[in-house]
This record gives sequence, structure tokens and C-alpha cells, in this order.
Amino acid sequence: MKHYIAQRLGIGLVTLVGMSVVIFLLLRLAPGNIVDILFSTGGYVNPSERLAIERELGLDKPIWAQYLDWVRQLAVGNLGKSYRYDLPAWEIIAPLIPVTLELAALSLIISVCLGVPTGVISAVRQDTRLDYALRVFSLAGLSMPSFWLGMVIILGLVSWVGWIPPVTYVRPGENLGLNLIQFILPALAVGYRSSALIMRFTRSSLLEVLREDYVRTAWAKGQTGRVVIWRHALKNAILPVVTVIGIEFAFLIGGLVVTETVFNLPGLARFLVQAILWRDYPIVQNLVMIIAIVVIASNLIVDVLYGILDPRVRYGD
Amino acid sequence: MRRLSLVVRALGLVLAASIAGPGIPPTMAQTPKAGGTLHIMLREDLSQGFAIHETSTISTVWPAGPCLSNLVIFDPAKKVESLGTVIGELADKWSWQDNYRNLVFFLRKDVKWHDGKPFTSKDVKSTFDMVREAPDAPVKLRINPRKDWYANVEAVETPDPHTVVFRMKRPQPSLLMMLASGYSPVYAAHVPAASYRTGCVGTGPFKLKEWRKGEFVDYVKNPDYFVKGRPYLDALRYVVIVERGTRTAAIQAGQLDAAFPGETSKTTMEQLKKAVPQMVFHEVAQTVTDNIIMNVKKPPFDNLKVRLAVSYAIDRRGLIQASHQGGAVLGAAMLPRPFGVWGMPEKDLLMLPGYGKPDEMKARARKLLAEAGITPDKPLHVEMATRAIAIYVDMASFVINELKQVGIEATLKQVETAQWHSMATRGEYQIGANLTGLGTDDPDANFYENYACGSPRNYSQYCNEEVMKLFDRQSQELDVKKRLEMVVAIQKRLEEDAARPILAQRLDYFAHWPHVKGLVPHHNIYNFPRMQDVWRDK
Repeated sequence: MKHYIAQRLGIGLVTLVGMSVVIFLLLRLAPGNIVDILFSTGGYVNPSERLAIERELGLDKPIWAQYLDWVRQLAVGNLGKSYRYDLPAWEIIAPLIPVTLELAALSLIISVCLGVPTGVISAVRQDTRLDYALRVFSLAGLSMPSFWLGMVIILGLVSWVGWIPPVTYVRPGENLGLNLIQFILPALAVGYRSSALIMRFTRSSLLEVLREDYVRTAWAKGQTGRVVIWRHALKNAILPVVTVIGIEFAFLIGGLVVTETVFNLPGLARFLVQAILWRDYPIVQNLVMIIAIVVIASNLIVDVLYGILDPRVRYGD
Repeated sequence: MRRLSLVVRALGLVLAASIAGPGIPPTMAQTPKAGGTLHIMLREDLSQGFAIHETSTISTVWPAGPCLSNLVIFDPAKKVESLGTVIGELADKWSWQDNYRNLVFFLRKDVKWHDGKPFTSKDVKSTFDMVREAPDAPVKLRINPRKDWYANVEAVETPDPHTVVFRMKRPQPSLLMMLASGYSPVYAAHVPAASYRTGCVGTGPFKLKEWRKGEFVDYVKNPDYFVKGRPYLDALRYVVIVERGTRTAAIQAGQLDAAFPGETSKTTMEQLKKAVPQMVFHEVAQTVTDNIIMNVKKPPFDNLKVRLAVSYAIDRRGLIQASHQGGAVLGAAMLPRPFGVWGMPEKDLLMLPGYGKPDEMKARARKLLAEAGITPDKPLHVEMATRAIAIYVDMASFVINELKQVGIEATLKQVETAQWHSMATRGEYQIGANLTGLGTDDPDANFYENYACGSPRNYSQYCNEEVMKLFDRQSQELDVKKRLEMVVAIQKRLEEDAARPILAQRLDYFAHWPHVKGLVPHHNIYNFPRMQDVWRDK
């Protein structure tokens, strides 16, 4: 197990290095840089002033030298300075992380609470009216983009009750109740889509397991439906679902752009888009690296969970 | 005619008087109530912090305004801006001397910076030497979009700590207009100019409490504000909401008290009015034009006939209906009446290329194109560049359709904001659909910035020495009536040269809740950010 984790960490590190090169180059391939944006807020361009700012920000150096500077800074835990805000990048990024983590976690809880039971019911009641209804419900979730659903929620609320969740972020420590009110609707919008995916995976995986001999044996032994389904069948059917949950969590960390924007939550994804528009390289590079680390870590956690959920799964020690 | 004489008389009041009085007038009949926090809309985070001198965007001026003060400002209670509505802010009074060659400001003595240091003439000199890039200026701005405003200032002198003299090369009454703009605050000399990108040490009615990046800007009342009894509010919060639909929902739901200047279109106003009948709306001009830029240095637009054909082809009224749903008005380079004072009279406007009956105008366009060798068999193919932002693209799409009707086949090229200004400044385009905002409704600010030879914001690269002389002549004309005639003639000339055909003057339907009092939007989005007279009737 230890060997396996070390191996995965090694692969993760290589992935991160690859990612750093890709994101670094892609950013520089995009037309324009921060200096162009700064001048666009001034409505003109002056070539000599432009050069002076590029020199000040180190953008006049060759690309490889800029990359090495960044990697060198990363190695000592320095994320550099935001071009746009003229402040240390970590000072800008740090407050964004809890917002996205909270939204992703709440969305995941909602999607699991909604997706797993409906998937089980749908599988157990296969081809009944209830199954059809739940499948339509899940298909609707997959078909509706969460940002559209978010906008509909906002517009519906303001039109019908003249209220929307707070548009200024409320920290859990300031007012937990208000914080939950602020997060529950975006989490529902995102969680509904994810729950549809989880429901479909749970259903198909459980249907497969329900046809296994040991399940038939359990029924034959006269065990109750609850024991057969929840203890014997679901425990084995849940492995692919855990994978999906892990992937969904990783996706949510970077994929909440529009939901964060619609509900005005100052999270990582919304900020990432703004930083890209501003060509704020230090912020973009480091945010992407953080998202990549979360994706790698969540995949690793899923793999470790495999072993815990199914003792038959062993890693080559 | 009667209206014209009233305007002229109003303008003359200040020009004729050598000394003008200061003071911020009472803004309302109701007795103002003190206290409370005002929640105000912000459509994006501050782009350069509070460094107004380094930007040309309302996204900086609007939220940074309450922290800072000008020497003079436009009367916050009056929507129309002119020399007659300029009042003192940091300057107690001012005086034109030496036949309008020297502008002397007598500064208030009771002003303190937010960090407790006294405000003196040294701060004024340091600010305007920096902006005009005087050879001995102690600091240099990283980006300096309004250097040209002060091209006529020879020196800024400080005979004593409370007197400042702007010495000019030639008379220029407009200098006062530019100094009254929201773009002309005074920075503290003892604070590095670069620090305004991250914080704000001002003399304004509100002190910066916190700027939480991408979330909000919080201000608290400045207890040492030099106008006694102001501001009325205890605090301000500017809430950053990037998504337009959410912004509208937030004001509708009452989470915001007031909108963002230039944000409320006619359609949004109608939608909000239906949902919240008690909401207050102000129809004001933005002093932002829709216009066409054509590169006069490159074929085919180096040919005046082709440029004029473009101007004739575009139905201004059609654009106002299609792109603005009626939320804009006809006008040339300067803001038309009753929104501004320098606009062309309607009868003159109707004589300009593109302002007449659409069919007749298009026939004129086809004739001009034929004279330039462009016929339906041999259509002209061009690339129409515009910024990849909805308001630009809407306008460009309308224009492309209009041009097609006269035999110009234009394809749309959407240019990212990062590339737009460098492309336009370098003239790396053929024709473009553009928006231009003016910091103040003043002929000097407009003509020198957008039409003068060599100006970096003269995107068309139009350069006419004869017209330049006309700019200079109107600039130093002290007789307001004569100057108005000159300005009208210049506007006519610019349209006839198709230097930058103006398509529409945009309107805003600024929204706020009825409990917000004393907030009077001006016919210029940049010039009412101070909030010192605003109060909550709640």
C-alpha cells in the first residue's frame, strides 16, 4: 500500500510538472498580456511606457527564464505577486479556497444524498413507473446546465418572492445560518446535476450486482430486502460510484465558474476566469496548479477508499 | 433661440466673473437624515485600485470617488454640466487672471488627508506636475491617459501653502472643466502615487475601510471631512457583481440601493419598473457615443468618398431603435441639448451625412461609392473590427447590415479587450465599431483627445491642420456665444470629413430605491461619484 501511494505521488508530481509547462505556455500563447489590459483601461497605448511596465513585471525576459523564475519561486513556497492587484498572489488566492471547497462539498453531499438512494430505488424497482419517473428526473438533471438552473433559480426567486440569497459573501464564522442560506441554492443547482450522474451509475452498477449468484443466495436464505440490498449488493455496487464521486469533486473545484458567477460567490473558479481575462499570470498559474493538486489528491483518495470498501482490492506491495 | 440664449447666459455667468464662489449647495427640500449604509452596484472589481489618474474607466472612478477630492467639481445637485455648474471643492475660490492665462486657486485651510496630514498647495502641484509630466515632476505615472488635457499648462506654481497658480501658454477656459471632472482628483504628495493602486489616502467624505478583492469596497464616514455636517451616511459598500442578470436581481431584491452608472438600459428599466413600481429612474446621458472608426491612412478609407458613403449608409434612428431599444439620442461629437451645452442644434444635425431619410441617405452612399469605383458588381470587401463585448458586437452587427445594403461587404472581426486598444492605436484595422466616453462634456477634452493629430486616442488617425487651428481657436475663445458657434462648425466639419462618424449618444436610466436621497446622476457617468450629499430616508 505504502509503495502504491508513493508510486501514485510520484506520478502526481510528474503530472504537476507537465501541467506547469502546459499552463505556462498556453497562457503566453493567448494574445495580449497584462500590459495590454492595463493600457486598455487607459484607452490608449504608448510603446515606451509599455516596455517600461513589461520590464518592471519581468515580462521582457525570455519565456524559459520566466518559467524558471516561477518554478524557483514555487520551490520556496513563494507564489509571486499578482500583476493586477500588486499584492502577493497567496494573499489573493487564500480567501478563495474555503468558498469553493464549501460549495463543492455541499454540492457533493446533496448529490450523494439524492443520487445514491434514487439510484438504489430505481434499480430495485426496475421498469416500474417509479423507475421511469426517477430516470426522467435524473435525465433532466443531466440535460440542464447548472448555470442555467442557477440563473432560473435567481430570476424565479426575485420575480416570485422578491428575494435572492445574499450577494455579498458571508463567512461561516460571521453568520453560519446566513452562510448556509447563501450556499444552499447554488449547491442544489450543482448537486442536482451531479446527483443525476451518481444516480445513473448507482442504478446500473446495482442492477449488475443484483444479478450475481451471491445475491440470489442471500434472497434464497430468506434475508430481508434491506439486508440484501444495502449490506450485500450495494456494498459491492458502490465502487464505481465512489470513482464517479471522486471525479465529480475534482471537477467541481475548477468547474464552478458559472455557478459562482451567477450566485456571486468569490470562489476559485470565478476568480480564475477574471485572472485569465486580465492575463494575471501568477494568479492563473498558481490557481491552476492548486486545482491540479486537488484533482490528483482526490483521485488518490478514491483509490485508497477502494481498498477500504473492498478488502479484496490489494495494491502491489 | 430663447433656449440657446439661456444656456449662453448660464455659461457666461462664470466666464464673465473673475472670481467664483465655492460651497456645496443644499440638495433637497427634505431635511436629510444622518446614518446608515448605502449598498451600491459595481460591475467589476477595481481595475487599477483607486489610481484614477492611471485609468479611463468608470469601474475605477465610481468606487474610488468617495475617497478623493478635486480642486473643483460639478455641482452634485445639477444634472447638466457646464462652466456655470462648477463649484469649489478643495479650492475655496478661484480667479482667472492675465486675460485667462493664469488660473489661481485659493485653497481651503481646514482640509486634512485621511492619515491626518494637512492638505496644502504642494499636493496640488505634485499631482498636476505628475499628470502633465512636467520635466521636474517628482513622480511619473505608469499609465497616463490624460496628459493631453494639460498640454497647455506651462507651470503649476505654489506662492504659498494655500494658493496654486496654473500658468498657461495661452488662454483656455476649458481647463476648469477638465479640473472638475471625476478624472482629476488631487493625490497626496506624501504618499507614493503607486500606492493608490492598492489603497487610498484622500481628503474625500469617506475613508477606505476595506477592499476585499473581487467582493466589495467598504468605506466609513470621514469624521474630519472639510464640509461640516457631511457626509450624511455612516458607510458605503460597493458590491462587485460580475453577472449582469444577478446585478439586476440584486437591485430588484433590495440588496443594492443604487445602480452603476451606464448600467441600466431602457429594457432593464422597463423590466425593473414593472417589478418594482416605486423604483426611481433618471434618464440621463452617459456622454458615451457609438461611433465608427475608419483608418484614414489605409485604402479604401483614405478616400473621403468611401468614408462618407459609410456615414451616409448607417441609419442612426434605426440603430437607436434596434441596438438601444430607443435608449439613445441623435447627436454629433458633443452631447446634444438638453443633456449638454455644446451639441449641434437639431436642424443642423439633420443636414449631416446619415441623419436624413434612410432611403435618400443610402442612395447618396451608393452614388459616392460608384464615384469611388465601387459598384454592386464590384462590391467592397472589408473587415469590421470591434471589441468582443456584447454592446460593441450589437452595434457592429447593425452597421454591417446597413453597409451591405449599399454594396459594402463587411465581415465581423471580434477583438479581445487585451488587443483592442493596441490594435486601434497602431491603426492595425480597416474599419471598426467603437464606443467613446468623455471625462467631461467639453470641446477641448473631446477634440484634442479624439480628433487631434498625433493623439494616441485618435484611432482614425484623422489629421487636418486646418481643423487643428479651429480647435485652438475655439479653445481660447472667451466669448461663449462665439465659441459655441465655432464648436458647432467644427462638429459639422468633422462629420463632413467622416473623421469618426457618430452614430448615437447613449442614455442611461440610472436606478435607485426611493429611500436614496440626494443622489443626482449627471449627464456624464464619470462625474457624480462623491456621495457626500447622499442620505437614506429610512
